[in-house]
Amino acid sequence: MAVDKKYRSKVIKPLDFDQFWDDVLSDAEAIDLNCSVEKDDLRSTEEIDVYEIFYDSLDNVRVSAWYAVPLGFDGKLPAIVSLPGYQSDPPIPKDWAAKGYACISVNPRGKVRSRTQFDPGYPGLLTYGIVDRNTYSYRGFFVDAWRSVDFLLNREEVDDSRIGAVGGSQGGGLTITTSAMRKEIRAASVSAPYLCGYMDSIQLTHTYPYQEINDYLRRYPERKEDVTKTLAYFDSISFADRIECPIIVNVGLQDNVCPPETGYALFDLIGSKDKTFYEYDGHGHESGRYIHGAVIDEFFNKHLKGAD
Amino acid sequence: MSVQKPADFEEFWSNVLKELAGIPIAPELEPIPMRSTEFADMYGVLVTSIGPYRLYGYLSIPKGGGPFPAIYFAPGNSSVLQMIPQGTANAIRSRYLTFSIACRGMRNSDKPYTAMYPGQLTEGLDSAKNYVYRGIVADTVRGMDFLASWPEVNEDKILVSGSDNALLVAALHDAVTHVIAVPSYLFDTLKQAAGTSSYPLEEFSDYLRLYPDRADDVASILEFYNLRWHAPAITAESLLMADHRSGIYNPDTLADLEGAITGNVTVHESERSSFKDGIFTEEWITEKLIGKNAAPIIPEHWQLHH
Repeated sequence: MAVDKKYRSKVIKPLDFDQFWDDVLSDAEAIDLNCSVEKDDLRSTEEIDVYEIFYDSLDNVRVSAWYAVPLGFDGKLPAIVSLPGYQSDPPIPKDWAAKGYACISVNPRGKVRSRTQFDPGYPGLLTYGIVDRNTYSYRGFFVDAWRSVDFLLNREEVDDSRIGAVGGSQGGGLTITTSAMRKEIRAASVSAPYLCGYMDSIQLTHTYPYQEINDYLRRYPERKEDVTKTLAYFDSISFADRIECPIIVNVGLQDNVCPPETGYALFDLIGSKDKTFYEYDGHGHESGRYIHGAVIDEFFNKHLKGAD
Repeated sequence: MSVQKPADFEEFWSNVLKELAGIPIAPELEPIPMRSTEFADMYGVLVTSIGPYRLYGYLSIPKGGGPFPAIYFAPGNSSVLQMIPQGTANAIRSRYLTFSIACRGMRNSDKPYTAMYPGQLTEGLDSAKNYVYRGIVADTVRGMDFLASWPEVNEDKILVSGSDNALLVAALHDAVTHVIAVPSYLFDTLKQAAGTSSYPLEEFSDYLRLYPDRADDVASILEFYNLRWHAPAITAESLLMADHRSGIYNPDTLADLEGAITGNVTVHESERSSFKDGIFTEEWITEKLIGKNAAPIIPEHWQLHH
């Protein structure tokens, strides 16, 4: 068995996909962001200020995030939205601040610091409310990520024409949906994308977290059609054609969590003309991070800092 | 930055273990049909640790007759309790009895105390008595108490896997026969923290930046947890997964730890590939728990090059 680089996902983008998400966004826009921003002295340094922030999102869920800003800058800063993995705790993005970006690291609903109102747990998040697009966990989870852009747009120190998005695994999937739905994202870096070809992935691999869906369907086999229908609205592949900004995608060919086949299928459908794919043979879910980190830095230097 | 074993090191840990021994495990098991398969049954487990504090874990038992080799996934420094680590072939549950537990503060064991990440590593670090890690180590040992008491466990093949806590439980519990550990923050903690701005070690630097007057006390407290002093008590056969040469816990940094562990030790330097490091680990586990000629159970995408 070799990785099929011409793999085509079985997901079919729903005809009313755009309408569904327009309605969700309309609901979200009716909710004031209601930001609170508090400096965290414990995490701040002489070079970087760290803030713990909160904002309201869909269903009035209060979402937390870390915000890191370099000190001593001139003019306005380029900014990064850092999107989190599935089970990992969102990092304090001092590393991005050290590179000269204002960076927000989002804790969407259910993650640590954002668990008070919604907490399906792990395992659990991936299948919570999965039989209906209006109850599925990721309906709000996606919006929580997207609204981080609104936070940045309200910051005086941020140049709103230089905002990028970055993430790996679930963060990669969220980067796809965020850059598809928020045109303010001017450059996007996606690693080992999760939430991408869900129904393909549960056949291509038998590891968690995708295994959660297999568990669910083993228990409720009669719901497969409803599950498939719901997930089509939340699949990164369905969002891909809406992406217009420059984008890079990298996968590890031995990724045991997010099958690389789905990464190829995703990339093929990305709408942007400025897109580049990186494959790393001999690498798993870390998807060549130690090599690719320099590629990501150079990419954002070019698109957000104007470097040649 | 010098390190020094506390004069009352043995007494400190003896007291923790005595306190733990005085508390019944009091296990309660609840089947989890959603996570049970044709080859393994999954249970949610509650046990009691010092405090007393109730902890939650996941126990997976292969179908068929035991005894089974067992893998204990020690709690890590993150909020989420995993049944088996992300990316592991679910089919390992057909071969091994697996157990994972959330220490206090982690999701599923977060009542009444909910830890923050980052935040857990410096909680109560103002005194040895208040430092949360004393309870976390006790919780980790309690998980092993439960696993070792399970009748279907092959007592000659009990492997603990994890980060620093895996080595601590290997030092403090004599049921451990094998250990795989990725040392991440408890070996010469402050010395290593000074050389990085990455978490989790950065948690300690953050703390000392805000409370510089507590530096001596913090250093003293952390010596009780320094893997350097626990290593001689580790008799299990050990695999240390070291950072790549350019990382903090690289083979050179870990040389003293390697030398101090009593049992046989293998050190594997990370190849900066979760695939290559993962294959190495799965092969080691298979050889030690099943036999040299057995094939490891690995995920589909690792089979391509194996």
